[in-house]
Amino acid sequence: MLKDNIAIKITDVTKTFKLYSDKPNTLKERLVRGYKNKTDYRLILNDINLEIKKGETVALIGVNGSGKSTLLKLMTKIIYPNKGKVETNGKLTSLLELGAGFHPDFTGRENIYFNASIFGLTKKEIDKRVDAIIEFSELGDLIDSPVRTYSSGQYMRLAFSVAINVDAEILLIDEILAVGDQHFQEKCFNKLEELASSEMTIVIVSHSLESLKKLCKRAIWIHEGKIAMDGDCSKVVEEYLKVCG
Amino acid sequence: MNFFKELYHYRELLKTNVKKDIRGKYKGSFLGILWSFINPLLQVLVYALVFPYIMKVETENYLIFLICGIIPWTWFITSISQGTTSITNNANLIKKVYFPREILPISVVTSGLVNFLISCIIILIFVLLGGLTISWHLIFLPLIIIVQYIFTLALIFVLSAFNVYVKDVEYIVAFIINMLFYATPILYTTEMFSGPILWLFRLNPLAHLINAYRDVFYVHHIPNLINLSILLGVSILLVVICYIIFKKLEKRFAEEV
Repeated sequence: MLKDNIAIKITDVTKTFKLYSDKPNTLKERLVRGYKNKTDYRLILNDINLEIKKGETVALIGVNGSGKSTLLKLMTKIIYPNKGKVETNGKLTSLLELGAGFHPDFTGRENIYFNASIFGLTKKEIDKRVDAIIEFSELGDLIDSPVRTYSSGQYMRLAFSVAINVDAEILLIDEILAVGDQHFQEKCFNKLEELASSEMTIVIVSHSLESLKKLCKRAIWIHEGKIAMDGDCSKVVEEYLKVCG
Repeated sequence: MNFFKELYHYRELLKTNVKKDIRGKYKGSFLGILWSFINPLLQVLVYALVFPYIMKVETENYLIFLICGIIPWTWFITSISQGTTSITNNANLIKKVYFPREILPISVVTSGLVNFLISCIIILIFVLLGGLTISWHLIFLPLIIIVQYIFTLALIFVLSAFNVYVKDVEYIVAFIINMLFYATPILYTTEMFSGPILWLFRLNPLAHLINAYRDVFYVHHIPNLINLSILLGVSILLVVICYIIFKKLEKRFAEEV
């Protein structure tokens, strides 16, 4: 069991991905190649140990392919580690993609229900939030038009509004800070700042280091599947830029 | 028990998914949702027109006889074919969001069930128009429906999970369903046959189900309750096994899909 003040605990986690020269997905390919097909494994995360306390806002930084998103996916239980244990404590919501489950032919309002239900909300909980979501999205009357008539910016605004209004104790965010126009981006950022200063535990993967410095106290730098540095956000960012900048 | 707890927690997702399945499918078309009822009826029409020509049909009220077979069959095949691809078609969701994966196959069978329940009204209308009566035997209908629901769910748990790893499953399934259609007494009655071929019907769960539907709608008999109970028992056992397999394979869905 986790101690009460710990939100996420990662113990000795190793994750490898299969590498195929050409993924044998059909029966024929499986039969023809059989076991001759040697699969290579690529080590994505190598023996990670990590503890995140409740209420912390933590940034995950690193170059592309360093394993940040994989770590985030492990925390949400989308994928499972080959070795080690991932434990979480509290209701977890992950914003790895905006607008999951949107159906283009249904109205914005209906899609709020689709999208929020994927995050595990019940009808009553969504009913309570629906006005706040619509207000935040600033879509006005458009909310009762089918989503396919939206511009891509409006689409993202609706998606972000749902995501940000889903109450969670742990929020995992993957590179979705830049949404909509300047005005809306600022609004999103302010909302995130508000959440960061609340009780919520937040883990953010992002490349906009300046925003991260404002949002987070702690940063974890992941390099080639290992934790290269863990500590004060501005110090870690500084060190990261020295090596990888 | 964890299964039911998670399912209850995510009930709204199940509900919206079912709604999306039912209403989303024909959204934008002029007749919309009506197509889910017109389609099987048109199929009935084809068989009702063609079959009496190419073979001698001695069955009374052949049209109603066909409807009682084809409508449950439609529920079965649409669930199987949509269910098999329910994980692969939702690759985007699987890769990006956590939710209990079993919601996807369950909502396929459930939306099929909703369609079927509405279609039952169509069967009854045809029964009345055909000069038959509606009898008290309908009280056995829920039992038959439950058996079919559990049996179908068991199959698509396993098929949807296999299809993630071996994409050929959906094509093989399409072929088997095609064969099964002719091995099931939908266009004909089992009474037309004798000898070893009867074993085919005895071993075919769909044959028992279709015959049971006919018993309550058309023949007005008490369906063979012993067979149905055995089928219910087998289906429950099967659904548990298939669910365990699904849960085992589920762990690498996001990587393989």
